[in-house]
Amino acid sequence: MVTAGAFDGERPLHPAGAAVLLAAFERGWAQPGGLGEASAHSRHLLQAAREEIAGHLGVNPTELEFWGESALISPMALQGMPAFTEGKLIVGATERQEILALAARTKSSATLRVSHSGLIDHDQLLEEVERDSIVAIQSANIETGVCQNLKEISQIVGAMKAELHIDYSASGPLVRLPHYWSTADFPAKSWDGPSGLGVMLINKSHRWANPLATATTRRSPESYSLPLVLAAAASLTGWLADSKNESERLRNLTTMMREVIARTIPDVDIAGSGKSEESLPHILSVSILNISGERLVNALAREGFAVASGSACVASAIEPSHVLQAMGILTHGNIRISLMHGVQESDVKRFLALLPGIISQLRTEAGA
Amino acid sequence: MGENLVLDCLGALCPTPIIQLSKAVRTMNPGDHITLKADDPATKSDLIAWARMTGNHVTIISETSFDIEKS
Repeated sequence: MVTAGAFDGERPLHPAGAAVLLAAFERGWAQPGGLGEASAHSRHLLQAAREEIAGHLGVNPTELEFWGESALISPMALQGMPAFTEGKLIVGATERQEILALAARTKSSATLRVSHSGLIDHDQLLEEVERDSIVAIQSANIETGVCQNLKEISQIVGAMKAELHIDYSASGPLVRLPHYWSTADFPAKSWDGPSGLGVMLINKSHRWANPLATATTRRSPESYSLPLVLAAAASLTGWLADSKNESERLRNLTTMMREVIARTIPDVDIAGSGKSEESLPHILSVSILNISGERLVNALAREGFAVASGSACVASAIEPSHVLQAMGILTHGNIRISLMHGVQESDVKRFLALLPGIISQLRTEAGA
Repeated sequence: MGENLVLDCLGALCPTPIIQLSKAVRTMNPGDHITLKADDPATKSDLIAWARMTGNHVTIISETSFDIEKS
């Protein structure tokens, strides 16, 4: 069910996933590794889900590992590459904080500049990448919706036969795997699947070993919940079917929002170019000069709109958004709008009608 | 060379330094300078964005001191 005004990126489990979840707890309760009949049934369910998800992601089922700790997938994927110990870790300046922190702890690392529109500097990548390098890139950024040119990046990294890890947290399978890749991170949340589950892809032609101490040959802790795997598979199938129509509709809505906000509100900084090949269809990041992000978020909440913010003055943040800083975008007065499938155009238009008045009032109150 | 003012926003959290600067610049003439002192971690990057958006010129003197020329 879509909640009116929920523009903050929090999305419920896809109805297709919700429909199978309860039944999955009844059908898939046994450990797939066990010996009994119930375990054999669980193994069958797990394999079917693995094949369904692998098919949608365009990989071989043997290249897919489920992780119950989805936030660990990218750090583990990088640390499982043989080059991690001695090679250079190259990351984009707008990567997730934990990846930047990991790069800071490695023996050799480089941070790639981004342009004002959020795109990685490919010339710098060409200069930095070596045969023993690992390049960690997001397919798209969850704060700004900016999509990287994965085709060109994979060509640059592939030409050096270096390793390429891609984090699909923001885009999910809206963005396809490029021709050359080593590992990839797909949280099930990226396709409105359940939280607490993610998929690590390991390209069969690249070397990778579980960095966690283990006495087995397992490539993951296998601590995931099988019912969540089944719900994730059903969600992915349903979400992709919805996306065929919804992506274009959401693209039209965010394009309209970009145009109306730029026209009706003076002194705004909208992240990214908005071009379809450089942005996700459903995310818009807007920074408004001389406004407190916290006051703006609260004022919108009073009107029934939930939005996120990258401003430091919003209670959950200590530092301003490193993503906006790297792009040279204003960090204060920031709101992140994320439209979910099923959002009503009338809600978006009501938001756009209210926003200029709210901004004007907040600026007056601030004496700006 | 225009008048040189100082705006002390040390200890103030963003966006207060930028709002105070915007107000101060409105009363200045083209070519006037103002020194902004601010130590909030967002100020430096926001000031550069502010200059791009408003067309004014910023020179970074130190991590907490900035010279602004009204264009």
